[in-house]
Amino acid sequence: MATYSLATEPRLRALEDIEREIGAILQNAGTVILELSKEKPNERLLHRHAAAFRASVQHVEAELSAQIRYLTQVATGQPHEGSSYSSRKDCQMALQRVDYARLKLRDVARTCEQMLEN
Amino acid sequence: MAQQRALPQSKETLLQSYNKRLKDDIKSMMDNFTEIIKTAKIEDETQVSRATQGEQDNYEMHVRASNIVRAGESLMKLVSDLKQFLILNDFPSVNEAIDQRNQQLRALQEECDRKLTALRDEVSIDLYELEEEYYSSRWRKSSSLREANDLPLCEAYWRLDLDTDAADGLAAPLQASPEPSAGPLPPAAPAHSHASGPGPTEHA
Repeated sequence: MATYSLATEPRLRALEDIEREIGAILQNAGTVILELSKEKPNERLLHRHAAAFRASVQHVEAELSAQIRYLTQVATGQPHEGSSYSSRKDCQMALQRVDYARLKLRDVARTCEQMLEN
Repeated sequence: MAQQRALPQSKETLLQSYNKRLKDDIKSMMDNFTEIIKTAKIEDETQVSRATQGEQDNYEMHVRASNIVRAGESLMKLVSDLKQFLILNDFPSVNEAIDQRNQQLRALQEECDRKLTALRDEVSIDLYELEEEYYSSRWRKSSSLREANDLPLCEAYWRLDLDTDAADGLAAPLQASPEPSAGPLPPAAPAHSHASGPGPTEHA
């Protein structure tokens, strides 16, 4: 939808950030398991990625809970019946008026040119 | 914050299901990850041979890793459902989006109308001069030489006027003339000749 409002955009962006963070969670988990599979795992790297995994999981849970809580508060269960159709129609009519004026001016210009040629 | 309104059963159930899915997926991720870490610990005493234990641990880790990935994918689906729900049911933002769109369209319409009005004012000045030039020029008199289909409305109207003048015996010689530049104006031509030129011969 090209017409994201100012109020929706931060929420949708937050959800997109959460999606990226879920990817980061899986990546951290994979890094930890990979490091564990080595003969001599790097402990500092292990701790860092494990801590990042845990923090990301908690953050994702908190954010998604907040979003669901907000939706519980604002959702009414009724379909939204607003539309911008009337103003879109008026604008379309205005653009058609402009096109019509352009056509008529072109005719006048052509007539003047014909007069001058003759 | 506003109190929670009584939602329809379906919406309430839907939001509760979202909560449940979230809790289940997060729990699945954490538990499976923890179990993988625990399984990675090498124990000296095993009930079965080391090779068997190794195979078992390998299989268990595969399954748990698949569970973590499945939980991650389920979370992604949940986020997608939440986005859809937000777009459809977040009335404050939908109202704002509609208002914004209405404002944009109204502004565009007003600008179009404003420019058309300015254009009308400019063109009316030019048209006045053009009409003055045309209706007092020789072209008005020689308009009968054009084919009827080519006549614009104003010209057809004036031609009618001309025909009415012809009935008074004014324009009959003009109608017989084949070309506007063929020859000088007949002496019966009224004093309508304008500053456009002394006669058609100059345009030959």
